[in-house]
Amino acid sequence: MSRGNLLISAILWSVVALFVIYPLSFLMIESFKIAGTDRYGLQNYIDFFKDPYYLKTFGNTLLLGVLVLATTTLVGLPLAYILARYRLKGKVLFTALILLPIVLPAYAGAFALIVLFGKMGTINLLLMDWGLISKPINFVFGLHGLVFIQALHLLPFIVLSISAGFTNIDPSLEEAAEVEGASGWKRFLTVTLPLTSPNYLAGAVIVFLWPFTDWLTPLIFGQQDYLPSIAYINIAYHFTDMHRKYMGIVSVVISSLICVGIFLASKTWVEKKKYTALSKGTTLEGRIIETGLFTKVWAYAYMLFIAVFVLLIPIVLGLSAFSRRWVLQPFPSYWTLDNFRLIFLETPILLKNSFVFSAVALLFGVTFGLPAAYLITRTKVPGKDTLDFVITLMLAFPGIAVGVSYLLAFWEGIPLATHWIIMPLSLFIRRLPYFLRMAHASYLQLDVSLEEASEVSGAGKFKTFINISLPLLLKGVFVGLVMFFIMAFQEISTAIFLYRGGWETLPIGIYLNWHRGMEFGIAGAMAFLMIVIIFVLLLIVARIGGGILGAAWGSSGGKY
Amino acid sequence: MAFIKIENLFKKFGTMVAVNHIDLEVIQGEILTLLGPSGCGKTTTLRCIAGLERPDEGDVLIDGKPMFSKGFVPPSQREIGMVFQNYAVWPHLRVFDNVAYGLKLQRLPKEEIKRRVNEVLESVGLSGLGKRYPGQLSGGQQQRVALARALVRNPKVLLLDEPLSNLDAKLRERMRFEIKSLVRRMNMTSVYVTHDQAEAMVISDRIAVMESGNIVQVGAPEEIYKKPANRFVADFIGTTNFIPGEIAEIRENQIYVTTEFGQKILCKVFDSATAVPDQKVHVSIRPEDIEVYAEPSGSRDNVFKGTIMHRAYLGNFLNFFVNVDHTMIRVQVPYHLRQKEGEELYLYLNPEKCIALP
Repeated sequence: MSRGNLLISAILWSVVALFVIYPLSFLMIESFKIAGTDRYGLQNYIDFFKDPYYLKTFGNTLLLGVLVLATTTLVGLPLAYILARYRLKGKVLFTALILLPIVLPAYAGAFALIVLFGKMGTINLLLMDWGLISKPINFVFGLHGLVFIQALHLLPFIVLSISAGFTNIDPSLEEAAEVEGASGWKRFLTVTLPLTSPNYLAGAVIVFLWPFTDWLTPLIFGQQDYLPSIAYINIAYHFTDMHRKYMGIVSVVISSLICVGIFLASKTWVEKKKYTALSKGTTLEGRIIETGLFTKVWAYAYMLFIAVFVLLIPIVLGLSAFSRRWVLQPFPSYWTLDNFRLIFLETPILLKNSFVFSAVALLFGVTFGLPAAYLITRTKVPGKDTLDFVITLMLAFPGIAVGVSYLLAFWEGIPLATHWIIMPLSLFIRRLPYFLRMAHASYLQLDVSLEEASEVSGAGKFKTFINISLPLLLKGVFVGLVMFFIMAFQEISTAIFLYRGGWETLPIGIYLNWHRGMEFGIAGAMAFLMIVIIFVLLLIVARIGGGILGAAWGSSGGKY
Repeated sequence: MAFIKIENLFKKFGTMVAVNHIDLEVIQGEILTLLGPSGCGKTTTLRCIAGLERPDEGDVLIDGKPMFSKGFVPPSQREIGMVFQNYAVWPHLRVFDNVAYGLKLQRLPKEEIKRRVNEVLESVGLSGLGKRYPGQLSGGQQQRVALARALVRNPKVLLLDEPLSNLDAKLRERMRFEIKSLVRRMNMTSVYVTHDQAEAMVISDRIAVMESGNIVQVGAPEEIYKKPANRFVADFIGTTNFIPGEIAEIRENQIYVTTEFGQKILCKVFDSATAVPDQKVHVSIRPEDIEVYAEPSGSRDNVFKGTIMHRAYLGNFLNFFVNVDHTMIRVQVPYHLRQKEGEELYLYLNPEKCIALP
């Protein structure tokens, strides 16, 4: 065991201990504190589960998870089949379009939908103008709106994971079924679908758990009876009311436990059922079906239908970004660059903060992620699997848990929260696994003999890393960097708890402008600007990494 | 009687012609092997029989019924059993359910399914493993599951696509005999695809050798080995020496071939219908058909002097690489011969075994 590796391991562990384990344990312990005393006990949890309101909130969140999962599955299954199996022109373009919401912030989509489908939104106004309805229809405010917007946002996770499953199935497994006498639907139900189930589960977990982490979308739609939303309201607005504060903390802990528990359970199950590892000689693109004209038309229509919804988001935000007073009229009538003047000239600090915080977080990410990836893939340092496990676990933790725990842990004792460094630090910890996963994946593709050859030629471990590994890892690392940046750039659920005057980022600016009301144009312009920045970054990734999302997310379909 | 009839089958992928207008008949109850290097069209032909591929032209008749020309008959309606190269055993189903899959689709009574599956599992040597998942089986056992699944429905035709290529050498050799005796016992018309000529020799009643989409020769293994139709077949099946030359003289049932260095070789095997004087040919003779002598014995034909360039010990025999007038000839001799590299010896190329190939 080399001493260098042990040193790296020690440093990484201390980072994890200080910035992951310490604050999260702090949060856990705090949730057992009996308000107003120094004693600890189960009182908070008993209160939570005895209070019909919190029980209802819990039930609502669960129901939302089930409904969103059901919707994305129903809509996504045919879409995944089309994308994975049919030979169609322009499939790459449609794929990119349909998967776009993955990198867009969920709240951007929510704003766009309100403008379009709100009570005085474009659709309602048009319908009333044409005399088709007399009173506006409630398209989005309520559970159905939440299901709609979250399903739209999460559809890519389901589509990516199922279509990866379809592609990975060895064609001969289906051919064997065909020869054995199963045709069409029968084959699909008995062979294709069961074989896809591990992939599906990987995506389904992300989708199902989303309502346990997203506090903002329900608030935008005028709902607060969901676990993360009520946690946010209780902690951010009622921190002086001890009861509400502790109910908020308990909500965060319960959401986190559910997320981590389900995440781990599914991971164990998926690993036990890795079907693809069994068969050999899989073709690269899997089974491709030549379609008849009828099927083709349907496939295109279906893809187009979903692509239109996705495209509505940037279009609506763009319209509101370049206009003013888009109220009570179906389309904006007053065009202006005023919103952008505000963003760029009057409050440039938001943009600056966003870039600086994301860049510093990125720096932390690389400094931590590269050695961590090296340690996990290339050494046998004791405890490295545990390190990998803890980092991976961060995928499951809701951003709100990171935010609240930092607020609690770094206030007194270690008063980091009084310095702006807490902002990039929390972003880095929140997105810890992303960069690591990608560096990890590129490391696995790098044949170890290339490095061994360098060492045999006389280069030390560090020289080998600089001369051989890094140049070969560069592409994967770069894609990881950009994706990390995109994720940090749009982060809000952690930052919202930690920002103080002067530390506002673009996403926080969007939230505040919406929250104060009447400033929708500015919020829209900010969201639009964010989409443009993300899009430019994505183009860079696509240029370098090839295949925008495939490269960035791998074939396993999302956050695994 | 021809049970499977392939008529004028043609299939191309893009511009690449995979199967080029072939005709072939498989007789009831026989095991016919499609043999050839990768890309010769053997698997495509097999997949057309299965219905997994649709030919661009031509037809396949199974038991007299056309599979393509009178409306496409899908694989599920063809009553075939197929063993895939990578087993294609469904990983999410237990061994029993893998094998029972086809029977369940036929909606047979539970008792009968159970009986038949257990019977076939026993015959492939897997009794007692029905409850296992494929992931818990070795490669060889998975192979047996695939075989059991293909046999259990008593299909009209059994198709095997390189079923042994993923097994290790020892197991592969054993499975050849097992598959053959099993298929024999069930008297099933079988088409077997392989690129391994030794496998083809062991398993087949007849072999169809394919090269770039064409069938170049069909015959019993012995016939193909002893009388290859052209250089490709001679080269592909077993090991052989090619000695280039020209036909010098044609007699009733033998010809003389002059080599580049003026030596004359007497060949007794040739196609008398097409042979013409001065035609360029290659004389093919297998290493084991060459005898070696320390002294020239009498004044026989086909005795040549050469020098041993390499001597390779292979356990049960020796290989000499002998330089005869700048032509390297490989000879297989008994292992006890003492000749060393650099020594001279005499080769006798038995004319009965010398084949002149265009």
